Amino acid sequence: MKTISPNLLKFAGTALLLTIIFRFFLSHGIDKDSMSIVILSAFLYGLAMFFSGWYFGKKDREYLPFYDVGFRFHLATYLSHNLISELWFVFGFNSESEKISIIHITALIWGIILFFHFLFFLWTRKDAINDLDKDDLFE
Amino acid sequence: MKREKKLKELLNSWEETYKKGQLTLWIFLALQEDKMYVDEIRDFVITKSNGTITCEEQSLYRALRKYEQIDVLDYELRKGNKGPDRKYYFMTDLGQELFLEFVKRNIKLFYSEEIKKLLNL
Repeated sequence: MKTISPNLLKFAGTALLLTIIFRFFLSHGIDKDSMSIVILSAFLYGLAMFFSGWYFGKKDREYLPFYDVGFRFHLATYLSHNLISELWFVFGFNSESEKISIIHITALIWGIILFFHFLFFLWTRKDAINDLDKDDLFE
Repeated sequence: MKREKKLKELLNSWEETYKKGQLTLWIFLALQEDKMYVDEIRDFVITKSNGTITCEEQSLYRALRKYEQIDVLDYELRKGNKGPDRKYYFMTDLGQELFLEFVKRNIKLFYSEEIKKLLNL
């Protein structure tokens, strides 16, 4: 089975890159005590993540009609964001004012939301065969 | 002339609807003949359907990926004349069973004497 599709991997790669850029500007903005850099970097990061998810999600649907209610892309976003955020602290790239507890609290709250998304994903399994949309199998 | 034009338009419209869902059957029919790679399947579909079924390359690739994902098709790699190896598709046991069951339930009924008579065959 090809649940990990080429477009999902491309999206995960993009998410990793965008998160690195975001964390760089976030830490830089905090160091410089610039609220505008912090807000702008967060806004542009959210926007870029949304559009890359939209773009690769659309291409993924054209590749194969996966029926996962967006769970695979959500999981990829969660893993990419939190992996880079943890490593940012491990390698000491963070600003002195940043606390790792914020990363952990964010991961926990987001993890709970992801868990409910996972339950919804399991609940919709009845409409899928081998992860594909039952209504879009045959041409 | 006006009637002929109307008949042609109606026929085209009906055929457009009728053709939806036909590609799967034609792909599976092709693979009843032999293991085939994409271009051979495409040629088979166009030739044997007398050109009534068209299949865009992208649609065909997508369809084959789907059937592979749901385990009704598989492929083996063979050397092509040039370039990368070709994927030669074939029906799996599940795919073959699915095809036969579909034919039994949806195609064979057209071959009963009663229906043949109604179809003026």
